[in-house]
Amino acid sequence: MPRNKTIQRDAAMWLLRTMRTIRQTSERIAALYPTNVMETPVHLCIGQEAVAAGVCRHLTDADKLFLGHRTHGPALAKGLPLRSLMAELYGRTTGCSHGYGGSMHLLDLAHGLPGSSAIVGGSIALGVGAGLAAKMTAQNFLGVSWFGDAATNAGVFYESLNFATLQKLPVLFVCEDNGYSNVMPRAAHSAHDIQSLAAQFMPACTVDGTDVLAVYAAAQDAVDAIRTGGGPQFLHCRTKRWMKHQGHERCDLPENAVDVARDCPIHKLEAFLRDSGLASAAELVALARQIEGSIDDAIRFAESSPFPSPHLVEV
Amino acid sequence: MPWSKFDSTYSAPLTGRQISYCAALREGLDQAMGLDPRVFAIGLDADDKFGVFGSMSNLTHPERVLGTPISENAMTGVALGAALSGLRPVHVHLRVDFMLVAMDQIVNYVAKWEDMFDRQVRVPMVIRGIVGRGWGCGAQHSQTLHGWFAQIPGLKVVTPSTPYDAKGLLLASIADDSPVVFLEHRWLYKNMGDVPAEIYTLPLGKAHRLHQGDRLTVVANSLAAMHALTAIEQHGLDVDLIDPRTIKPLDIDTIVDSVRHTGRLLVVDYDFPFGGFASEVVAQVTERAFTSLRLPPQRLGFPDRGMPSSGVLERAYYQTPERLAAVMQRMIAGESVHADHQALVVPS
Ligand SMILES: Cc1ncc(C[n+]2csc(CCOP(=O)(O)OP(=O)(O)O)c2C)c(N)n1
Repeated sequence: MPRNKTIQRDAAMWLLRTMRTIRQTSERIAALYPTNVMETPVHLCIGQEAVAAGVCRHLTDADKLFLGHRTHGPALAKGLPLRSLMAELYGRTTGCSHGYGGSMHLLDLAHGLPGSSAIVGGSIALGVGAGLAAKMTAQNFLGVSWFGDAATNAGVFYESLNFATLQKLPVLFVCEDNGYSNVMPRAAHSAHDIQSLAAQFMPACTVDGTDVLAVYAAAQDAVDAIRTGGGPQFLHCRTKRWMKHQGHERCDLPENAVDVARDCPIHKLEAFLRDSGLASAAELVALARQIEGSIDDAIRFAESSPFPSPHLVEV
Repeated sequence: MPWSKFDSTYSAPLTGRQISYCAALREGLDQAMGLDPRVFAIGLDADDKFGVFGSMSNLTHPERVLGTPISENAMTGVALGAALSGLRPVHVHLRVDFMLVAMDQIVNYVAKWEDMFDRQVRVPMVIRGIVGRGWGCGAQHSQTLHGWFAQIPGLKVVTPSTPYDAKGLLLASIADDSPVVFLEHRWLYKNMGDVPAEIYTLPLGKAHRLHQGDRLTVVANSLAAMHALTAIEQHGLDVDLIDPRTIKPLDIDTIVDSVRHTGRLLVVDYDFPFGGFASEVVAQVTERAFTSLRLPPQRLGFPDRGMPSSGVLERAYYQTPERLAAVMQRMIAGESVHADHQALVVPS
């Protein structure tokens, strides 16, 4: 990856801060989850942080990102404030969806997050709709459809790629491929190869989704091509899910065992930063501590926020 | 946005300007697109030379009419994504039956999106479905399904019966900031009626009394309303005929007031009978005006099975103004009529 060396310190530190925020927040959620303070199913993305950070670094607040059920990482990377996320998980009025959404339904209009969905596949079409709106109104934002490997088995996936290509829409498809649909491995759920399937419709690139600099570089190319009017692009990020599909426990599938040196995007980026002299070891420790502080703050905020008072909404 | 309101009785003014139900739909859509550049139409065959049975022919803004592949599910999501990005889509289906392919998007997505985020986002989106039947169309091209859509929180369901309603309700649906399922009946397309040339909206959730009477309340929408009116007029029946215009929101007050007066209720609902619109009206009236009822309320509609094809079977399957008149006459005479929804009359 020759382009790794060219990354600016600012960008690299942003990637690290974002990945660490996602990781440490997820670890905290996992630690608190058994105490039942968060009454909502959580799909954590520990191990997958590079995809969220590497892609979202290239998105603006105007770009509209539509997520599925595994929301926390990309939502935080897109700009969702930590407090809003935590308060939503705690079911409070101050949550980003006012307690009506929970972990799987996050919204932040100011940061281009018009909602996320728990029905696998369908939200792929919504990103295409955002791209259509951008084209019809001659605006410069992107629609971004974000989904897992198993969503490529749904008919809506094919329909969405087809239409985005026919209409040459400004849409970025991001497949966050962690190799599993719950406990079903990719080989058991997909007869197709994801990249070559997508490549029949549009330029498609497969990238190591545990290497944030690789994701960052590939996403840069894809986003640039879309912004210059080239139509949709497909980014296939192969990554690893360290946790069980849902909840706070580590994944126990032996064939999915984690080798930190090989699989951990944070470990790899920190090594690069130290080795290249872009950041000192002390700086990295300080960053982790600072993020812990903002997580403490977000949890205090959530805990002290009011619960919604049940009321019927007038139609 | 200068969406105007019309007169307070909401019945068609005699303008002397008679146009068809189809032309009224076309005019409503065309005016909405002219009024608001965010309005666009999308759908399979929306842009072809047939113009959606004429309801979208020669629109002033063809650049805002988008044909799609046969991908009803994703296209519903595309329309939703566009609605969430500042546009006001009108998604059109040549048959309501095709909407079933998009039920994930319609029920899980479109209907739920506002609620999931406590209405911080709105979904200004209209889904037009055209109801057809006859000429052996069969079980997959003859459904109406308005009761089914109305069961889902988050969807308004609009079923115009006259040209005046078609235009005013379509403009109101497009002006609405929440999802509307707008179901048109193909058999009404050629009907003529008074329609003002100007832009007007009719309120969603306000019924219209099509005929005044004292002895029986008949609730009927869409084609059933027109059949009921024909039955009443041809036989000179003393019937209070209420067309709810919108299944949801439902103007139950107008219906209950009428039943309090007549003491008898018949709902003519050209849809499947089990748990449907007619069942809902009967349930609500029974809950609210039980003691006013002098006869068991009745429902008339489709049998509880798929539509047949052969003309002989088809004619047996569907109600006609004559059959409606016979039931109304018996109810007015105080007879308890019990419709057998399982039955499909098969000639021997
Ligand atoms: C239509 C639908 N079917 C089943 C489910 C249950 N479900 C939730 S997540 C999931 C696995 C999805 O795998 P993938 O798309 O690869 O995403 P990942 O969970 O790995 O991030 C399943 C089967 C669902 N939410 N929606």
